[in-house]
Amino acid sequence: MSLKIGVHGLTSCYGCQLKMASVKEIINIARNFDIKYWYMISSKGEIEHVDIAFVEGSVTTKEDERELKIIRENADILVAVGSCAIHGGVQGILFGEEYEKAFKEVYGDKKIEYEAEISHPIKNFVEVDYNLPGCPPEEDEIIYYLATFALGSYPEEKDYPVCSECRRNGYPCVLIEKNDCCLGPLTVAGCNARCLKYGISCIGCRGALEEIAWFDSLAKTFKEKNMGEEYVKSRMEIFGKQYEKMEEMLKKVFENED
Amino acid sequence: MKIERSIRNDHIARIEGKAGIFVKIGEEISAKINVTEGPRFFEVITKGRRYDDAVAICPRICSFCSIPHKLTPIEAVENALKIEVSERVKKLREILYLGNMVESHILHLLLFAIPDYLGYPDAFSMTKDHPELMKIGLEIKNFGVFIQELIGSREIHPENAVVGGFGRIPEIKHFYKIGEMAKNILQNATAIVEFFTEYEYPSYVNLARNHLAINPYNGYGVYGEEIKTTDDLTFHVSLYKEHIKENVESYSFAKRGEYKGKPFMVGALSRLVHNNKFINGTAKDLLSEYKKFLTPENPFANNFSQAIEIVHFIEKIKEFAEEIKIRKEEIVKPTEKSGAGCAVTEAPRGLLIYEVEIKDGLIEYMNIITPTAMFLPMMEIDIKNMAKGLWEEGYKDTDLIGKKVEMVMRAYDPCISCSVHVIKL
Repeated sequence: MSLKIGVHGLTSCYGCQLKMASVKEIINIARNFDIKYWYMISSKGEIEHVDIAFVEGSVTTKEDERELKIIRENADILVAVGSCAIHGGVQGILFGEEYEKAFKEVYGDKKIEYEAEISHPIKNFVEVDYNLPGCPPEEDEIIYYLATFALGSYPEEKDYPVCSECRRNGYPCVLIEKNDCCLGPLTVAGCNARCLKYGISCIGCRGALEEIAWFDSLAKTFKEKNMGEEYVKSRMEIFGKQYEKMEEMLKKVFENED
Repeated sequence: MKIERSIRNDHIARIEGKAGIFVKIGEEISAKINVTEGPRFFEVITKGRRYDDAVAICPRICSFCSIPHKLTPIEAVENALKIEVSERVKKLREILYLGNMVESHILHLLLFAIPDYLGYPDAFSMTKDHPELMKIGLEIKNFGVFIQELIGSREIHPENAVVGGFGRIPEIKHFYKIGEMAKNILQNATAIVEFFTEYEYPSYVNLARNHLAINPYNGYGVYGEEIKTTDDLTFHVSLYKEHIKENVESYSFAKRGEYKGKPFMVGALSRLVHNNKFINGTAKDLLSEYKKFLTPENPFANNFSQAIEIVHFIEKIKEFAEEIKIRKEEIVKPTEKSGAGCAVTEAPRGLLIYEVEIKDGLIEYMNIITPTAMFLPMMEIDIKNMAKGLWEEGYKDTDLIGKKVEMVMRAYDPCISCSVHVIKL
């Protein structure tokens, strides 16, 4: 019996689903699963019980919230896919008053029939079993997650930073050599330091690590390079505004005197 | 007796993003597209951030057109800060852009539109009966992906393209491969064009309309700085606010465009209507053979136009890849810290406009107008006319009418995520 899966999108750019759909061997891979629901790709199907539900996107409307709860009730395993689902996404930058202001600025006093709210990660509403990080996730990780589930096992999330992948690949360090504010040391690995291969500093799109490994040396480097806390913070906020440990992490990085 | 029916689908399958259609049929017929996907305020998010961070955020508006949402703001920022990049960088950007165009078009046709034509709920079930069609389509897609990964660093959210150039310019050997791949998939693309010539367009949606498209720099392409209209106006992108207005309706999170107070169309069909004289090579032959399918008044011609564009752009990419000379280049740094600039390009779904104001390296103001926001009102009119036509012809099955109006929507290839990034005017 093949595993029953559902693929869902809340509010996002739909890139995680597009990445899943454009995995090179998708047609062969799809044969091994019973796809019950994938509305971006298929007009068949209602939400029904599945073994695994993959959810892309953040919750930004009451309708998103309602739909997410139905998805959870009908799934044995729920996987949050991508930065919007896991951390609220770039749209999660607007918070509290900033959000109210933005809404007014854009729509004026015009009433919209649907209720919109601040962009939240899905874990604020339902229990999440696994996170598949990335903006969008990498092809090999998508296959790894699907394969482990198909084998009756489970995927292990990475607990080391992009920085270590970059070192392993021997790319020049853009933080030290080019004075670029690289978030590689703070960001979850798995992309094989894709941007660093191109000499582009990490913007942190995969989300921050639960624990930071080398904050002492990192703080020293940021300091030596004259990168202020404010700028590092504004860069970290792009993908991590709602990351609970942000303040703690920044404190570790910047308050650690010599 | 008064007959009233309504067709409501709150969440249309096989489109990018989340939108519903609500059609009312009776003495009066009306159609509304409810964009229910939540707003994402990109213009506000980017405010106060460094321009290089801001242009890295923009692609997140939409995955299907993340390359246009990177390269267009980059150009607007470069115009604002008077950065002049080399011809080589411009050419590389164009190849990257066209690679995205080819991928976006084929994915839309293969996964979203063609299942309707053949009567399947999705491409997976279609594959069982039409494996060859799927195979040739996916080969075209892989070609687009290869280009985007090579030049952009990845197919979705390309980080290698930055203000002032590229992080790293790929080696020449890869461009030989692009040329070879292009040669091999050209016949696939021709077959896709021929697929669409086997169907007649429904005449219910025939309606004269205004098409807006770019006045391209060199031949048929995506770059330019002027916009052309069907009523023979040509205006510079910096004057866009004088000509294109946007409104809010209470039933939708997306804003809605109008030109001279009226709905209009943008996209592959609009480009071909205005610029078909620049089409050359195999695509030109196909276009003259199947001329009757290029009908400015019928939105179904948009799918045919996308297929023609795939052929044209594959040949164009091949030509560029063969003539490009590769050399290492440093990223050009700005000499100015403040300024204002505009840029327009042709995204897969039509005109995409970015306007920025930068002060001391930080974004003061950003405005984005996406193609889907521009054509939404026109799409509503076509949906209404489709329902009306079928109803008056005697079709009373709401399921069938529902399916047909969805086909109208998919002909446009709407990008809902784009339309609700939210525009401020």
